[in-house]
Amino acid sequence: MSSTLPNGAGSEEPDGAPAPRSRAHRPATSALSVADAAALRRLGLEAVGFVLGTVVLQVASSVGAGTVGGPYGTQGWYGGTGAAGASGFTSYPCVHVMGFGADHWGFNAEDRSYAASVGSGYATAVARLTEEARSLGAHGVVGIRMDVGDFVGGWSTWTFRATGTAVVIRGAQAPHEPFTTNVNGTHLERLVALGLAPARLVSGVGACYVRPNCRTRGDLMAPGGVDQIPQAVGVARNRARATVREAASHSGEGVVQTDWTDRRLPAWGEGWIQSAVALGTAVRRFGPRQVPAAPRAVVPLRP
Amino acid sequence: MSPDEPAPPGGTAADHMRQALAVLATPARPQASTYVSDLLVGELVLLDEVGYEPVDLVAGAGSASWNPQIASGPGGSDAWASAITSAISTARSAIDREIRERSADGVVAVQLHMDRHPANVLTCTLLGTAIRRRAASRGASDHGPRRPFGTTLSARDFHLLVRAGYLPVGIVTGVAVVAFAARSLTQGLGLSRENRELTDQTAALYRAREIAMGRLDAEARAYDASGVVDVSFSEHPFNSVLVHAVELLAIGTAIRRGPDGHRPILPHLQLALDDPPPGVFTHG
Repeated sequence: MSSTLPNGAGSEEPDGAPAPRSRAHRPATSALSVADAAALRRLGLEAVGFVLGTVVLQVASSVGAGTVGGPYGTQGWYGGTGAAGASGFTSYPCVHVMGFGADHWGFNAEDRSYAASVGSGYATAVARLTEEARSLGAHGVVGIRMDVGDFVGGWSTWTFRATGTAVVIRGAQAPHEPFTTNVNGTHLERLVALGLAPARLVSGVGACYVRPNCRTRGDLMAPGGVDQIPQAVGVARNRARATVREAASHSGEGVVQTDWTDRRLPAWGEGWIQSAVALGTAVRRFGPRQVPAAPRAVVPLRP
Repeated sequence: MSPDEPAPPGGTAADHMRQALAVLATPARPQASTYVSDLLVGELVLLDEVGYEPVDLVAGAGSASWNPQIASGPGGSDAWASAITSAISTARSAIDREIRERSADGVVAVQLHMDRHPANVLTCTLLGTAIRRRAASRGASDHGPRRPFGTTLSARDFHLLVRAGYLPVGIVTGVAVVAFAARSLTQGLGLSRENRELTDQTAALYRAREIAMGRLDAEARAYDASGVVDVSFSEHPFNSVLVHAVELLAIGTAIRRGPDGHRPILPHLQLALDDPPPGVFTHG
């Protein structure tokens, strides 16, 4: 998805005139706390504006499209091999001795369409935020906060909203690509002291459709260890972690401050989509560790 | 300046920031190994101070179901508590396996979540950053493969623990499920006019606590621990027409004293002038 806005979006002028992309003559807005602003000042950075990137998406899922065992999907009820597009398929047959029937059979199928759809939402919101920062001539955006939810729209629409504070070093040439990070000002100062530069915000999404078998549904006559849920959690988390690592390997040596969200989203019947989202900052080494002297243990005299 | 030739230490924070931006302007080379960590930068600094570096984000999950009617019947089998314990230990072994695969020493700041969907299926998920002692910081006592440690303690608490001369050995749990008798019909309907203690339920909670703490102690002894810190209790009631029971879960971090014994940390009193936490001025 492109980082440019749809027609009409982002117009700030009431008369419909093209929106000015530069706010050079306006006072700078920011989402910084006093401590963050002070830390940025020590780093020689100055806030130039509060920047935002938003996208509202109709989230696509293989489950909804019928490729992963919707009620009339191409997936067999009784645990056949995976349909086209449904990779990472694991069958969970009935654990009863005599049991037979649709309620008893289950499977896990990685839902890559869903992960890609939600992933593009995160990427687009951050790309639009970066674009706005670039138009302000910023060197980077700090303290990026990502809010995801059903803010507008309805069933199966997701709103992705990235907000942050664009910063510059006065007198230095603006880079082609501003850095982006969810690290706030105070932590950025510590990051730089560790000899690490914030490269960019990276995200990873994983999803697995679960149709529970009898034991996973909590059948009272078949209690015992449930393998299906941990497997689904593992599939979703591994994909999210691998995506983040892959994204980071092109721009840094590691990822810090990874914000992790596991969700269990209702799907058909008793099925659900187990999803995992990881969002962190890829960092790159620019110099040796400049670790301060051993931190002193303190008891704060504070209410 | 290339990332391979790091600048010598020195200069102001602003100089370092300019160097950082200069490096970011150069194209990055793809890295063979990249770590992922959920730690805050400040926490990385604290780990660094005690000689640990992040390795990767590691996770584990375990799940089990039980039949509450059989598990809590008269004469009581312990299948219910065992199911919860097995879910937790499956998750623990899974995260241990991930730590071993990455040749890390342990995992800190483990986020532990318990989900119940439906009420008789419990899923325990663990997630945290695996850490490794830096080669330069390894002492003579560090050699040899060791069981990976795990802790729910934050990186800050881990830092303090290590500085005080202790190491976490593992997350320990004690689970107990105790059934109790149903209330009388008038009590159940909220029509009773008596103000009396439900002794059966009080006794069930006491009994659950004794059993859970006993199991927590047994797990800590199995780890050969000097003690358990950061113990939290959570009760979970289960009330249906047929089953009235309370689950109690005690969870903590077993720790062991290092070879050098306890090293006292003498904290300084300090009045911080940075941003106060929210609510300090509003409630003052």
